[in-house]
Amino acid sequence: MNRFLKLVNFELGRFMKIYLALIGITIISQIAGVIIKSNSYVERANEAIYEDLIPKEDFFATEGLMSMLHVLRSVWFMGPIALCIAALIFYVFFIWYRDWFGKNTFIYRLLMLPTARIQIFLSKAVSILLMVFGLVAIQLILLPIESVILKWIVPLDYRIDMTVGEIIQNFRELQMLIPSTFIEFVLYYGAGMMAVFIIFTAILFERSFRLKGILFGAIFVGLAVLVFFSPILIMEIMQTYYLYPIEIFILEIILGLVVIGASIWTSHFLLKKKITV
Amino acid sequence: MIEVKNISKKYGRKKVLNGVSFTANKGEITSLIGINGVGKTTILNAIMALTPVNSGEILINNEKINKASYEKITFIPDAITMLPQMTIAEAMQFMQDFYESWNQERATELLGFFKLKESNKISSLSKGNTAKVNLLLGLALDVDFLLMDEPFSGIDIFSREQIAEVFTSHLIEDRGVIITTHEINDIEHLIDKVILLDEGTVIKEFNTEEVRENEGKSVIDVMREVYRT
Repeated sequence: MNRFLKLVNFELGRFMKIYLALIGITIISQIAGVIIKSNSYVERANEAIYEDLIPKEDFFATEGLMSMLHVLRSVWFMGPIALCIAALIFYVFFIWYRDWFGKNTFIYRLLMLPTARIQIFLSKAVSILLMVFGLVAIQLILLPIESVILKWIVPLDYRIDMTVGEIIQNFRELQMLIPSTFIEFVLYYGAGMMAVFIIFTAILFERSFRLKGILFGAIFVGLAVLVFFSPILIMEIMQTYYLYPIEIFILEIILGLVVIGASIWTSHFLLKKKITV
Repeated sequence: MIEVKNISKKYGRKKVLNGVSFTANKGEITSLIGINGVGKTTILNAIMALTPVNSGEILINNEKINKASYEKITFIPDAITMLPQMTIAEAMQFMQDFYESWNQERATELLGFFKLKESNKISSLSKGNTAKVNLLLGLALDVDFLLMDEPFSGIDIFSREQIAEVFTSHLIEDRGVIITTHEINDIEHLIDKVILLDEGTVIKEFNTEEVRENEGKSVIDVMREVYRT
């Protein structure tokens, strides 16, 4: 195993306990959500239909048939996703700062490894990407399981069965997480990775120049955002929408790559020449 | 040979190093001495490219430091550079995974020498034992140069004696050592060369053997003379 892969493996290992806890919370909360929401629906339906003698059609007309969408809109489902997103955003910063602070200054060891320092940067970024993909994969595995649980609880005439694809297509928040087309995948995850790279570079500016570095980092973030959104901004300012959506898409991909390239190059420079323990 | 050539370093407006120059050779123990805040640690950090200098140049075996240099030179800071949740065995495994110069035989020998248990967690170690693990992780590398920052700082007398023993053993032989220390008594007789620092500059550089033979003075005598005037 080469040193880069060892570094990625090491970074993943350092977050594994928290990561597994996040996965555990997601599984428990979402399955609990399916059970609670399904039982509650069946109870309400039975009460309305058999005790209050409301015709089934009237009940379904007002309440709608039970489907996974009822669960998806609840805090049981979205809560753990929000928690995972918040934890990963926090981790984007923590993955660097933990090495500088505390009794054990691990940054000394990392910077003294006989490997190009940019590998530290890239291994941290890849770790975050793998963690995101891991959580999305867990979600993809969970959705059909949750659908089956819903089917066990809710009678056939009370529910609408949906495939995983239909569930995702009908819930915008999930579409962002699990894109259905390659273009969407490149757009969402490319933008996400670009944001991680930009934040990493801003952190390295701060770690290299401390107080002044915060300003340099903020300028870098500002410039990166400006460059990335420049086609859209120019069109908005000029009020001339002369580019087709596919042209904007291609331009954004190119500019995204330029920003990522600039971020890696700047970080390489900072890690090699300016970083301070 | 490590060549530090006219390096200067500022933190904000404060000049920490001002034109520091010296050389350290393989097979010699060079000690950087000076009061707190004089720039000793900054020099070691600068040699290892852990902090940039504003001017000057540092060469290791005639080359600027690069990734391959970390197989030839290592730095043992005053705080341990491993994660507290690691066991000593895991810390050693980490070093073995990343350094070709890791010498497992020597690491095992050092474990025995320091009477350390591989299964112990770093976070559970006493200050003395933490310093020993830190030393073990550096000494088990087959490197030409070892930089040590205050290896005796804040540790008990028995641990100090044990660490001092390392300097007379084959574990150091033939390597170049740069050490910063306040506890000069422990290793005074082992030092080959002394660099006295004050306010970020080298105020005196001498060979201990020469001073001892020609002037009949110890390192501490010279320090008294220099710092009291």
